Amino acid sequence: MGDSIGDTGSSMHGVSTDKTGKYDLPVDLEDRATVFKLFSFAKPHMRTFHLSWISFSTCFVSTFAAAPLVPIIRENLNLTKQDVGNAGVASVSGSIFSRLVMGAVCDLLGPRYGCAFLVMLSAPTVFSMSFVSGAAGFITVRFMIGFCLATFVSCQYWMSTMFTSKIIGLVNGTAAGWGNMGGGITQLLMPVVYEIIRRCGATAFTAWRIAFFVPGWLHIIMGILVLTLGQDLPGGNRNAVEKKGKVVQDKLGKIMWCAVSNYRTWIFVLLYGYSMGVELSTDNVIAEYFFDRFHLKLHTAGIIAASFGMANFFARPAGGYASDLAAKYFGMRGRLWALWIIQTAGGLFCVWLGRANTLVTAVVAMILFSLGAQAACGATFAIVPFVSRRALGIISGLTGAGGNFGSGLTQLIFFSTSRFTTEQGLTWMGVMIVACTLPVTLCHFPQWGSMFLPPSTVTTEQYYVSEWSEEEKEKNMHLGSLAFAKDAESEGGRRAQSTIIV
Amino acid sequence: MAIKKLLFASLLICSMIQSSHGATKERLFTDLEKGSLEITATPSRTGEGVVLAAGIDKLSITWKVSSTATKEPEFKTIKVKLCYAPVSQVDRPWRKTHNELFKDKSCPHKISSFSYDPTVKTAQSFDYTLERDIPTGTYYVRAYAVDAIDHEVAFGQSTNEAKTTNLFSVQAISGRHKSLDIASVCFSVFSVVALVVFFVNEKRKAKIEQSK
Repeated sequence: MGDSIGDTGSSMHGVSTDKTGKYDLPVDLEDRATVFKLFSFAKPHMRTFHLSWISFSTCFVSTFAAAPLVPIIRENLNLTKQDVGNAGVASVSGSIFSRLVMGAVCDLLGPRYGCAFLVMLSAPTVFSMSFVSGAAGFITVRFMIGFCLATFVSCQYWMSTMFTSKIIGLVNGTAAGWGNMGGGITQLLMPVVYEIIRRCGATAFTAWRIAFFVPGWLHIIMGILVLTLGQDLPGGNRNAVEKKGKVVQDKLGKIMWCAVSNYRTWIFVLLYGYSMGVELSTDNVIAEYFFDRFHLKLHTAGIIAASFGMANFFARPAGGYASDLAAKYFGMRGRLWALWIIQTAGGLFCVWLGRANTLVTAVVAMILFSLGAQAACGATFAIVPFVSRRALGIISGLTGAGGNFGSGLTQLIFFSTSRFTTEQGLTWMGVMIVACTLPVTLCHFPQWGSMFLPPSTVTTEQYYVSEWSEEEKEKNMHLGSLAFAKDAESEGGRRAQSTIIV
Repeated sequence: MAIKKLLFASLLICSMIQSSHGATKERLFTDLEKGSLEITATPSRTGEGVVLAAGIDKLSITWKVSSTATKEPEFKTIKVKLCYAPVSQVDRPWRKTHNELFKDKSCPHKISSFSYDPTVKTAQSFDYTLERDIPTGTYYVRAYAVDAIDHEVAFGQSTNEAKTTNLFSVQAISGRHKSLDIASVCFSVFSVVALVVFFVNEKRKAKIEQSK
């Protein structure tokens, strides 16, 4: 089976065409699920989904665990405002590098090891908060804990191997959105844990250190669960599948070149810096902003900060779903338009937030801004899996890194100096979002078109198979891309769907 | 439909936020009567460059109502607080001095609060052991005289108006404990070792599978 157009011919070696009985959910040609059954834990698809988002969420909890406890920590460690700000920048900077590395690790070793290794090796960094005694130590530890945000890449990569293209927007959006929720959960969790420990008799300056053991234990638990219950591919673990000759080992240099030379990669790196990036920056500054500007009590400001992060629960999946819906009628062009509209709207709401003078307008503007920014994140990763098949891991890593870089940059320019007040910073950040979203108009897929241009005569298969050289094709290394291309035909919109024969 | 629910929810949140607004506004520090209370704070260890240890060292605080006090009949409670000297407020906006009393953050640490007995005219004193959650910094002591409706009416402080004399330094506890450090190391080692064990085990199983 597996007749195809053009120069590909012969069988899909190593790719199962069995659609009956083996899996709990219906699957496509690459054994990826075509349906998303949220409350199931069945092997392998839904189980992977839950393992993936929970471990990613755990990493968000530990990375932002310090934020709600800063009022205690700054007194224990005698921190200045600059120290607190620098620690915030450090917390998002670590993963710029680790997300790039994780992309390569996923491409070469598989997402299961990538996730488990990172989660379990970053547990010591979380526990080391008990040793911190000054600003330098605090900034260093927040920087090191921040490395674990690279689980984002393993999460998205893992979803892309388990679920089919038509629903990838929704699946990636839900997994990442629920993971990002950890940033909101931690604003509620850590103060509660701290309070309980204090009531048990510990002094304030010891209690916060003990509180950090909770995210540390979560890391260990999730790491063990991923190792014991997870698997790389629907057909089994990468090791086993590789040795059976089904998946071929690729070369890092080739994959890197594939990712870096594709201009679309860089467009999405920039865009994600201004959807995810601004979300992370806002996570760090919003509680303080509401506390200072509107004279709220600390716990009220904390609830607002938490709700900004918790909106991810539905906002990011909604963005992915909107992208999938647009793709159903307009194909990839619809996805690009959806992304541009959602992200620009988010930017405009951010401007409104900065200019809001009353509490009610500020809260409404903040909620709308959070919906826009988070849905844009979902819509971005609904497109990223289509930029390249060969270098999916590295491109996901680069895009993710771009998010963190955007966050660090925005915090540095607008929120760490006395040049701008926080409300001015928010306004200018909104303007920057709108400006940095414009490049999506330049993203053109020859097989599907772009926002303003129609497709040319290149086929989907030609686009994905062109990533491989002739010698590689002779070794049949490109067969995964071929199968992917078949499923991706639907990105041509309604016209294309009617001509697919499966 | 979803939009309606969303707007309603946000309206609810906003009204809750409105009702949890901070304390009363617009009572100013400059309205209080200066120097109504004479207060001195003597640390248990004095000398050039002495830094007091939180949780261990004490302050001996002596106070009395000044003869120049005019609002004395209104005094109901005396609240004594530990306040930051200007040097400890630099680069730390959460300790900033504001004229509006409800916004002022320079005196967050309560030392003591007791009812005012108008019949006692002599100086009274009490000892205060520095609490274990006092941060590192330079401090002075201030006492507010509060009336029956819990509004400050007068104050006195142990330093001059420019807050440069009679200051004392405190070193906070570190908050670290040996047992905590040990537990931390144990869990970290467990995490790394567990990972290595799993990994090696799986590689071995895969090799066995392959050689079959």
